[in-house]
Amino acid sequence: MKFSLGDILNRFSGLFLWAAFILLFALWVPDTFLTLGTAQSIASTQAVTGLAAMGVVCAMAGGAFDLSFAGVLGLSSTIGASLMGRSDVSPALAIVVCLLMGLGVGAFNGFLVTKVRISSVVATLGVSSLLLAADSYITNSQYITGIPKSFTSLVESKPLEIPIATIYLLVAALVVWAFLEHSRPGRRLYATGMNIDAARLAGVRTDRMTFISLVLSGGFSALAGLVLLAQIGSGTPNVGAGYLLPVFAAVFLGATQVKPGRYNVWGTILAIYLLATGVQGLQLAGGQFWVNDAFNGAALLVAVSFASLTARRRRATPVDGHEEREVNDSTATDPPQLQGEG
Amino acid sequence: MGQVANPKGGLRLENVSKTFSGRRVLADADLDVAAGTIHALVGANGSGKSTLIKILAGYHDPDSGARGWVSGEPIDLGSHAAATAAGVRFVHQDLGLLADMSVAENLTLDEESGASWWVANRADANRARALLRDYDLELDANETVSELGAAERTMLAVVRAIRDGLDNLGLLVLDEPTGTLSNQETGQLFELLRALRGRGASVLFVTHRLEEVFEIADRVTVLRDGHKVLDAPTAEIDEEQLVETIVGRPLEDFYPDPPPVNREVLLEVKDLTGPNVESVSFLVHGGEILGLAGLTGSGRESIIPLLAGVAPWSAGELQIAGRRYTRLNPHTAIEAGLGYVPADRKGLGSIAEMTVRENLTLPRLPARSSRWLSLREERKESVPWLEQLAVQPNAPEALFATLSGGNQQRVILARWLRVGSRAFVLDEPTQGVDVAGKADIYEALVAAARAGACVVMASTDADELMATCDRVLVFRSGRLCADLSGDGLTAHAISHHEHRG
Repeated sequence: MKFSLGDILNRFSGLFLWAAFILLFALWVPDTFLTLGTAQSIASTQAVTGLAAMGVVCAMAGGAFDLSFAGVLGLSSTIGASLMGRSDVSPALAIVVCLLMGLGVGAFNGFLVTKVRISSVVATLGVSSLLLAADSYITNSQYITGIPKSFTSLVESKPLEIPIATIYLLVAALVVWAFLEHSRPGRRLYATGMNIDAARLAGVRTDRMTFISLVLSGGFSALAGLVLLAQIGSGTPNVGAGYLLPVFAAVFLGATQVKPGRYNVWGTILAIYLLATGVQGLQLAGGQFWVNDAFNGAALLVAVSFASLTARRRRATPVDGHEEREVNDSTATDPPQLQGEG
Repeated sequence: MGQVANPKGGLRLENVSKTFSGRRVLADADLDVAAGTIHALVGANGSGKSTLIKILAGYHDPDSGARGWVSGEPIDLGSHAAATAAGVRFVHQDLGLLADMSVAENLTLDEESGASWWVANRADANRARALLRDYDLELDANETVSELGAAERTMLAVVRAIRDGLDNLGLLVLDEPTGTLSNQETGQLFELLRALRGRGASVLFVTHRLEEVFEIADRVTVLRDGHKVLDAPTAEIDEEQLVETIVGRPLEDFYPDPPPVNREVLLEVKDLTGPNVESVSFLVHGGEILGLAGLTGSGRESIIPLLAGVAPWSAGELQIAGRRYTRLNPHTAIEAGLGYVPADRKGLGSIAEMTVRENLTLPRLPARSSRWLSLREERKESVPWLEQLAVQPNAPEALFATLSGGNQQRVILARWLRVGSRAFVLDEPTQGVDVAGKADIYEALVAAARAGACVVMASTDADELMATCDRVLVFRSGRLCADLSGDGLTAHAISHHEHRG
């Protein structure tokens, strides 16, 4: 494995950028930024984003866009709140119901994509609309209160000063990482996402993989919704919508880090904290609430452009020094606009 | 030679070099295409042949000192616009046609349709018909390109390239246009090229198929290690000389000795029926290399997908290693012991963004006791397989896309060997692979056959079939019409049965 300096700079550029942000805000607004409180705030709010992102990474690795994850997140929070706050259902049961809902939506998405053969973008977009409708119906566009202490206390502790929600995220990240990169189904999932036809010809049951990737996405999003509910303490109508951009931005940006060219867990985690630090820093320095969207939007565009360029350069740089690419490579017929080797 | 003397046309390149990060891919290469001739350019992968074409196409800038002339006028090398202005036209291997559009649309798209912005279909169709008539091409202007046969598509691509007239043509560059064409289809293309030459066109023809060089070209240039090593009239050299010049060393056993065939029937197909295939039956023995020949549409290219479980079966059965199947999908085909190597190596045969190791192990992922897939162990396990098939470089972590065509093919063969396939089914196994690479692939196939497996390969290259296969089945109109072997197996016999039977 190559570990040249250039390679490390490339794969961990996010880490350096994050350090640069911390330095920048430490100098700019030292009193408010460089505090334990700020760090904990970033860590705990991003736990929700992170959990949802774990699901989306699984879906993207399998080649499926899950645009409904935000709806699942919101609906999970809403259903949990409604069950515990209005119907006095025990937290344990509420958690189970919400998770089942998430897995169920994922399975429905999976069904639409693999059996009805709708593209994942269209299918999940449609489903997200349905989820929004259900959310509005249940909340009646009002907050749902009455969430028991036994539930909200699940996110209150801070072992070693680290918010427990962040611990939940790290555990989830480890599980997803082990699944994607060190298990057989995970490898098959990646193969399905990268070239579904070639994967099929190599014996991968691609429909099953796509289905699983969407179920996982639904499940993690539901989990994220529950953590959010515990953090806020009340059911908020359509609370998932605000997560659509930050999660996708982090997943795409994450694909340029640690394992460039692939959607991967640690790159996504790095991206989440990088983006959150940037947003939090800007807000503390006096930025308005729109800083969030602007920053995430810009990061998304930069990440995708960067990923596109590095992917082309990587494909163009041969391994053993011969210019081995065949002339029928598609880039040979592109209009010449790419400067560079190969 | 009887060409029309035409001051227009022809190419001269001098001192073309190209260095990529300290590596000299082209070193003072020259090329001289006389006006009104068909000139072949050949060379192995790594010879710099593709780079030279890309420089001509304007995709790369040459190192300083390079000079070029088209039709006697100097041109700016490394500029797409300059090449186009000088009258250099390209037909690349993918043909550049819009499959879902009609012949007429392909011929007239991106032209100024007169003064009005209204897309006048009828005027376009008429212009297209005039073009087709001019070059004696019998195509229906309204037919969709995807419905055309391979030869027709290639010829259409040629006409499209020269649609602004032969007077404006400086040089027509054809880059491996015969990859998927059978002998007869190639013949049709060559007729068109001869007609164009007769009208004064200058053609540069890049190919890996050496018999084509002798069939169509007036002169041939060989590149090796970045420079020109031979430039001679094709009448003055022979194929053996050409091969040796390309590879740079005498090639004794270019085609390896065939393995002994044992009498055990390994694979039996009965009344197989599917798209383009009608009730085909045949046997393959262990250690046997069976070839499939036939024109496009004859069923030759449709048998392999059926065996691979990619195309649906209407009827028939397959027996392999004692098990019977009446249908197949890719998963069951692999379990049955069939290893499929598709013609589309990049799109279907492999996952380009994955590493060599990942492509190698995909059908059967290694995982020891627990569910944990250790990358280090996977890497260690991959190395001997890559070595067995002499994959260069033996780098499991390399991106698959960075390997040469021949090496990519060897990784795919290694993949199936590792899974223990008993029958290798290959579609155009050496398409787009250079001379040296082809030899290595044949050796790999023979090695697999020697180990007891059987090989079924569909190919449009009759020489390849003749030299590597023990038997060749010829198809016509979806049916098996001949089973050739021994003395009866000749290129002539294959051709004969392909057309008439």
